[in-house]
Amino acid sequence: MSATLTPTPPTPKPRPTPSKRASTALPRPPALNIDPSALIAQHASLAGPHPILVAANVVLHPHAKISSVHGKVLLGEGVCVAERAVVGVQGGPEVGASIGGVTPPTAGVVVGNGVVIETGAVVEAEEVGEGTVVEGGVRVGRGCDIGRFCTITAASVIPPDTEIPDFTVVYGNGLRRVDTTLKERTDLQEMRLVMHAKQIEVYKKLIPNNVGKWMG
Amino acid sequence: MALPFPYTYYSCDCFDSAAAVPTAKRASHPPPADDEDERTFDPRNPRSNYALYPLEHLLYCEDCRQIRCPRCVLEETLNWFCPSCLFEVPSSMIKSEGNRCTRNCYNCPVCTSSMTVSSLEPPKHPSNDDTGGLAGPFFLCCPYCHWSTLDIGIEFEKHTGITQQLARIKNGGQVVPSLKEREKAREKRHEARDGLAAAREDISVELSDAADPPAQEDVFSNLSSFYKSQLSLGASSHPFSPHHDINFSSPSSFSRIMNLYSSASSKKQKRDKPPPMREASSVAEGLAIHTSSSDHAAIQDLKLRGWDHTLTYSQKNNQLDQSVRFASELRPSPTLLCTKRGKRCRACRHILSKPEPKITSTRYKIKLLASNHIPRLSIRALSASLPLPTVPSSAAQGFDYSHLQPSATIHFLLTVSNPLFEPVRITLATPSTTMGKVKSKVTILCPQFDVGANTDVWDEALSSTPARRGGPSDSSSANSTQVEAGKIWERGRNWTSIILEVVPGIIEQHRGLTFGGDQKYRDDDGLVEDEDVLEIPIFVRIEYESDVAVEDRAPGTESTRPGGKEKREEAFWSVLGVGKIKPLQ
Ligand SMILES: [Zn+2]
Ligand SMILES: [Zn+2]
Ligand SMILES: [Zn+2]
Ligand SMILES: [Zn+2]
Repeated sequence: MSATLTPTPPTPKPRPTPSKRASTALPRPPALNIDPSALIAQHASLAGPHPILVAANVVLHPHAKISSVHGKVLLGEGVCVAERAVVGVQGGPEVGASIGGVTPPTAGVVVGNGVVIETGAVVEAEEVGEGTVVEGGVRVGRGCDIGRFCTITAASVIPPDTEIPDFTVVYGNGLRRVDTTLKERTDLQEMRLVMHAKQIEVYKKLIPNNVGKWMG
Repeated sequence: MALPFPYTYYSCDCFDSAAAVPTAKRASHPPPADDEDERTFDPRNPRSNYALYPLEHLLYCEDCRQIRCPRCVLEETLNWFCPSCLFEVPSSMIKSEGNRCTRNCYNCPVCTSSMTVSSLEPPKHPSNDDTGGLAGPFFLCCPYCHWSTLDIGIEFEKHTGITQQLARIKNGGQVVPSLKEREKAREKRHEARDGLAAAREDISVELSDAADPPAQEDVFSNLSSFYKSQLSLGASSHPFSPHHDINFSSPSSFSRIMNLYSSASSKKQKRDKPPPMREASSVAEGLAIHTSSSDHAAIQDLKLRGWDHTLTYSQKNNQLDQSVRFASELRPSPTLLCTKRGKRCRACRHILSKPEPKITSTRYKIKLLASNHIPRLSIRALSASLPLPTVPSSAAQGFDYSHLQPSATIHFLLTVSNPLFEPVRITLATPSTTMGKVKSKVTILCPQFDVGANTDVWDEALSSTPARRGGPSDSSSANSTQVEAGKIWERGRNWTSIILEVVPGIIEQHRGLTFGGDQKYRDDDGLVEDEDVLEIPIFVRIEYESDVAVEDRAPGTESTRPGGKEKREEAFWSVLGVGKIKPLQ
């Protein structure tokens, strides 16, 4: 299941999603930069020709998928990516319209410190701010800009190029409100980050680390 | 009619026989009154909408031997419980405390999901990893939309008894004086006011020192205590009572009239002129005065914090105090309690369904379902059933129920399955043409037949496997042309199927053509709603022999052979919805 980075952009196909079968055989490119304190579980996959940066204390659960096929991916400190969650711009009709056989790189995905991406979520956003929680099954479209300490509640869909200001809670059927509690209480923000750090420590005890495989 | 075609509805005649029900306690033979027998059930009758139910919605009273629909059962509340903490609340407490949870259960005023108690204390260092870190101030927090009581400036000292703590804190954190303290303050003010010359001055005094208007509960408690004092004291002790507001619409004169009828005081008060009651005239007495300053404050609030700060209609509606307008006025709403209910027969009061009293259990102690007592009628097109017996979804196979070809003979397979442990003789009857504008011909090819008893499934599987599909397998292998009058189509352990021959009527599309004699439809341009739906009313009569119920049959009441078998008979109307007729081109 574990895939390595492909050295060349994939050949243009009608659906240019990276084929795992093809990429497993390919060597890892030098653009993969992983902090040794990161926790990368078995079966987590990092793939794509563009750079991937994994900062300190990042946790990638089994079957989490980081894809830089269409642009770079930067995971900030303490980012947690849960099972079957996908981070990275996905292949789509617009991106698939490649010029001269080379897919033009997008702005990629930058995930801020302490962001939690829960089970099955797909994050293609350009930027996700610090301390934000993206709950299970959420789809964040390409080019979105998610602020700091936001909460995107489960199964929400954020259409592409949406800007979501800091401390926003997206809930219900596209309803939004400002998380006034968190916004006005810096102590609660700190508490959230502290709790998150504790959570990561627990993960490190529970999940066998496979980071060595990716360190080269 | 929400079910997809084809469907079967059962008719409960409780409305029509409502007059007969109280006397019919012992009538084991359901007496479909004499004229009832002759009258054909009309599924088009608007009233029929309220009598037709799918079999799954019906209960059965074993005493009355009749179907019981939601209209002819009585519901009784067995117990109250909180859906959030699953604690039972005694009904005496419901009367005193109301229908909301008084423990720690609250719903988010923004999104209605249930709230959790969280601690504000920063987490300790990982050295003590135990869960006993219950210190520091607490707050209620919505895990979904992240609204919390910190938004309205409320923190709690303890993590239990939230209701009591919340009752003492206003939004913003000020402590609300307890009821006793308020009583005392009110009395003090009363004394002070009695010293004053005029009530009018009193208002202005109160207004000037009341910076913020009192909460709604305060207004209510003030007003109710004022009225109580008015009722008990009488007017003589109130020298300032205004006499000008006595008219028949004022509440004071209403309660005065009510007083006339109350036995205790009527005699005395008839002699003197009934003391007029005055209205509340100060804030302490519950007078709520509209002030323009509160309006200004609201407008200021709107200007300052915008539309997002206001509440939606449903948020407002979920609040205990429904006069709130802004997000800063929200209060967490205590969880509404739920009930567990039992159902009784309206005629004989026997219990038809009763859930287990334990709150956490979803099972039933008693549940008398109609599907265990009444044969199930299911219908499908014969042509649909034939081609592929391997395909499970045979019902929809190649047959379009919503486009029935008019004036073409269609065969339907009507399967009657028997839930009883005795073999049953079924007699079916239907009018030869359906009612309404579109006349469809219906023929039951075999109106009388037997259905086997509902014996153990294993009996059948072990013994008579080959005998089961005798007739049908021949016919299905050959063709569907073997439809014969007077013969059943197929028979199984506890079911029998017969053929129903239907010739859908022709829908008259245009006015001016041959309309039926029905005056009602004369002026209609096109079809009346659902006129093209073909529903066949079928009268079902069941006869069977069963053991005499010991506790039930007193000698002499029925034609019983002691200790032996008893002939029973039941009858009801059902409606088969077979499809929609295609309009003629
Ligand atoms: Zn009924
Ligand atoms: Zn409760
Ligand atoms: Zn909420
Ligand atoms: Zn009954």
